[in-house]
Amino acid sequence: MIGYILRRALYGIPVLLGVALITLLLFHVAGGDPAAMKLGKNPRPEDVAALHRSMGLDKPFPLQYVDFLGQTVSFDFGTSWNDNTPVRRIFLRGLGPTLSLTIPAFLIGALISISLSLFVAFYRGSVLDRTTTFLAIGGISISSLVYILVLQWLLADRWKLFPIWGYEYGFGAAFFVALPVLIWVLLTVGQDLRYFRTVALEEIGRDYVRTARAKGLPERRILFRHVLGNCAIPIITRLVITVPFLITGSFLLEIFFGIPGLGGTLYTAIQNSDLPVIKAFTMVGTILFVLFNILSDVLYAVFDPRIRLS
Amino acid sequence: MSGVEAVGSVSEIEVRTPGREAWRRLRKDRFALFFLGMFAAFFLIALGAQVDVLLEGRGNPSYSKSLMEMGYAFEETHHPPTFEAFPLGILGLDWNGRSVLLRVLQGARIAFMVGVLGALCSIVIGMSLGLLAGFFGGWVDALVVYVYSTVASIPYLLLMLALAFVLKQGDFARIYRESGLSGFLSLGLFNIVCVIGATSWVTLCRLVRGEVMKVRELDYVNAARCLGFGNLRILFRHILPNVFHLVIINFSLTFVIAIKSEVILTFLGVGVDKEPSWGQMIAYAKNELMQGIWWPLASAGGLLFLLTLSVNYVGDALRDALDPKLKH
Repeated sequence: MIGYILRRALYGIPVLLGVALITLLLFHVAGGDPAAMKLGKNPRPEDVAALHRSMGLDKPFPLQYVDFLGQTVSFDFGTSWNDNTPVRRIFLRGLGPTLSLTIPAFLIGALISISLSLFVAFYRGSVLDRTTTFLAIGGISISSLVYILVLQWLLADRWKLFPIWGYEYGFGAAFFVALPVLIWVLLTVGQDLRYFRTVALEEIGRDYVRTARAKGLPERRILFRHVLGNCAIPIITRLVITVPFLITGSFLLEIFFGIPGLGGTLYTAIQNSDLPVIKAFTMVGTILFVLFNILSDVLYAVFDPRIRLS
Repeated sequence: MSGVEAVGSVSEIEVRTPGREAWRRLRKDRFALFFLGMFAAFFLIALGAQVDVLLEGRGNPSYSKSLMEMGYAFEETHHPPTFEAFPLGILGLDWNGRSVLLRVLQGARIAFMVGVLGALCSIVIGMSLGLLAGFFGGWVDALVVYVYSTVASIPYLLLMLALAFVLKQGDFARIYRESGLSGFLSLGLFNIVCVIGATSWVTLCRLVRGEVMKVRELDYVNAARCLGFGNLRILFRHILPNVFHLVIINFSLTFVIAIKSEVILTFLGVGVDKEPSWGQMIAYAKNELMQGIWWPLASAGGLLFLLTLSVNYVGDALRDALDPKLKH
């Protein structure tokens, strides 16, 4: 088991090296000269040269790459070009508000989609099932931007049920975060519901279900003991894979509702060409993604004895 | 009378090819047929809008003229839907007094361009890499798997934003403008197509690779090899047709991702800028809604919803119809 985890983790390293290379190529080569970006139009040549030296851009590319890897490992991406705050502090500052939005949204969404999907799988083929599946397709066909615009306008501006904009640290956050959480749930439930329903239906078609039926078990018991048990693995792994996105946050929701989280920070950074922040976010997002992918593979192996660990 | 009597000519006997079989199954789902029709209608609208653009030229197309310029009497630029100036006014007038109807129809053209070109881009990359990796195996496979797991590891939205941002302001934008291609496809549109192509090929590549690995071990492929056919012929004539259903299904998925991404990228200011796209109208709605101006958003958002819904539904039905394991 430990050997498997180690092997799986080691495979993540070349992927991270590749991502670092893509990020650096993207911003330092394809994106033009970062120094010119920082200094604006018509900079003096000596300023550009000085900035190149201080940013390490006068070094050959392989050395810049090594520098960047060093920054990633030590999680020290320097300071923001915008206001000279250390990137690490920007990151930690935004983490709380983002999590206060994404964690409740994630839990509520998972609860709704899992229970609803089992419910419609139980009544598969019925009008209820067909309506729900159709509504789910309809739900995922609406642009996320339209959801946000319409619900913010209707529920917050017209009906004044929720605040339109703002954030408060501590327990007051619940008040400001309620509507964004609702929108997040609406945005994700359709997709998850469809996936979980497919998973449940696939399990229902298997031989062990027929055996259970043949020996006379009631349908309810088959569904909640046998089928749910076997569905648990794909459900858990899918939920685990979405965890990194809880940390990077939703930039649309955060911009629209003024939540000072990581998604909004990234958006501002991209608008201002704030390279250190963008690079830090890309690397952190990727590392989390790779880590949680490994975690989900390991969970798969732990829960499912059929998966050989070779 | 001679002994043999013809039962029927060959044309009367129904030949059951996999394609016809799939169509037969698809036809059973009335909703799927309805949405297929809707998709076809959108396609015709987009085609019509394209013809209109070609006829009117680049000068001052009617979708960018205000209705006052066209000689209609409106007091305000923002006019709610009205039967005056029929049919131009039925979806209202936008902030410049332009017909929302005309702009929304042009938006269908942009959506199709983004959707079709983006999906083609991702299919060309994903399919060819998947075929190569699955067929040749060995180091080719290892390399392709490495590349796609790396690309898939960068959070999708982040990669999309970063790419769009880089394409928009780097040297690349200058080269593109000078190359003259921008007369055919504006930089904003080109950006989106590139971004979609570069980020969404991974799913298809993974699926095609897996399927090719299964198919290449089948007897008929061995038979083809025994007959002395070359790799390329086996790959394109014998293996590709058997994995092509994956490509068709993936087309619908990528099409939807592309037109949805257009909205978000345009809202963030790295997407379509010159042409009237649905994304642009939805982005403007941010300020308009609070003033009670709902019709541009309702028109653009509604059409975007209908197009996405029809593609999603038909895609789902196609997936079931093309799946030989599901017998109806």
